[in-house]
Amino acid sequence: MTKRIHVREPATIRLHWFNALSWGLLVASGLGIISGSYLRLVPAFWPELLQNLFGGNATLILSHVILGLVWMGVIVLFSLLRWRSTVWPFLRQVMTLTPRAIFVDLYFMTVRLARLFGLMKNVPLPSQGRYNGAQRLLGTMIVICSVLIALSGVYMFFAPQWLPFAENDLYGSLFRWALVTHAAAVFLVLIGLIAHIYFAVIEEGEAMEGMKSGYLDAEFVRHHSPQWYEELKREGKA
Amino acid sequence: MKKRYVMLADITRCINCKACVVACRAEWDTPLGYSRDWVHEVESVRADGLPQLQLFPGRCQHCDEAPCVDACPSGAAWKRADGIVLVDEGICSGCELCVPACPYDARWLNPETNTISKCTFCQPRVDAGLPPACVQTCVGGALHFGDANDPQSTVSRLLHNKEWLQLNTSEVPGATSHYYYTAGQTLPSSVLPHPVQQHIPGTLLSEVINPAAKLGIGGMFGAFVIAGVKKIIDRRTQLSGKEQHHD
Repeated sequence: MTKRIHVREPATIRLHWFNALSWGLLVASGLGIISGSYLRLVPAFWPELLQNLFGGNATLILSHVILGLVWMGVIVLFSLLRWRSTVWPFLRQVMTLTPRAIFVDLYFMTVRLARLFGLMKNVPLPSQGRYNGAQRLLGTMIVICSVLIALSGVYMFFAPQWLPFAENDLYGSLFRWALVTHAAAVFLVLIGLIAHIYFAVIEEGEAMEGMKSGYLDAEFVRHHSPQWYEELKREGKA
Repeated sequence: MKKRYVMLADITRCINCKACVVACRAEWDTPLGYSRDWVHEVESVRADGLPQLQLFPGRCQHCDEAPCVDACPSGAAWKRADGIVLVDEGICSGCELCVPACPYDARWLNPETNTISKCTFCQPRVDAGLPPACVQTCVGGALHFGDANDPQSTVSRLLHNKEWLQLNTSEVPGATSHYYYTAGQTLPSSVLPHPVQQHIPGTLLSEVINPAAKLGIGGMFGAFVIAGVKKIIDRRTQLSGKEQHHD
């Protein structure tokens, strides 16, 4: 049996699954809130079903908002408590976007995706760190989009209650742009999540295992993330 | 039988007394400078050279395919089965996405409630068996209201006995079957509806972001389904290859 490396704290694993569950519920309820046919993404039956289930859109909106605030609160709390040990290292690894890093990330993604369809089999993949090019892109997208989603969501719920929209058109205009931002950011992340879930469930069962137990097979790390493996070896963990 | 509430505005009987506007403002306690109904005055010169003043009592036309309902993100704008378009004030955020969508400019942001106001055909009065305030107070007998599906109603009789027309154009065709004007003269362009419009964010969402999201999410989903199927086929081929090798 090969050596197993401890790569993730239980609190981080719990946060990931809490985030995943929150996203599932928030996306499902959010798609049920948008009613007008000009604006909604899903067929009319979904908002009708959810709004009937919740006894009206007001309750559905309130549930969506409460869940959203809990989601924000937990992530903010986690970020404050684990900033140095987990959050900052994650952000630094994922969001360092030098021209060279962007080129390598795009190159990696192209080759990795092509290989799914039996292409570019003999083209070597560039050596990756803890997070590969696709994961770095998704991570950056999720971080930026989550901040935008949280800010626009808070504005859309609280601004109509606190700000006199009729006095200044800026308030209403901000609301309308917040709606666009909220929807666009969610859709962008959803596009990325399809790849994320496919790789976790179908392609890389070991990575999924790492998000359950916090341990990864040393050979898996060496194969997929050689640069990270070297780091772990230097730190005496591998 | 399902009701179909309609309002008839007999422009040959309107005397521009604005009693309908006063009654509406009193009924709904609208802020100063705001009203849910109006009387459009259109001055023109007739073919024989004489001046002419036409009067068009107007309000929400309660469109069948109401664009305000389609433009409302939260479902605060909605339509009852009897044709009355209403605003759910508990949900309305006052974002005004519905305002440019209305071809009749019948919706406005109420500064006192921070929500959208519009004519509701006085729905609470109608539900209590009363006519809308504007109809009850109309001095010239120009406004009529009732159930067009009830053959005994005044509106049914009037619809049957007189010629009527609606505020439709080629860009806003057949928008309403709940509001009629007396026919006989060509409607002046200033009372005709404007095409349905949207704020830039509304257009962006309906024309760019939603189609892009459908394409992006659908495309990614399709691509990974193909990748998954390919993986299954490859694995089967590999396994059968191994079995043959064992044989």
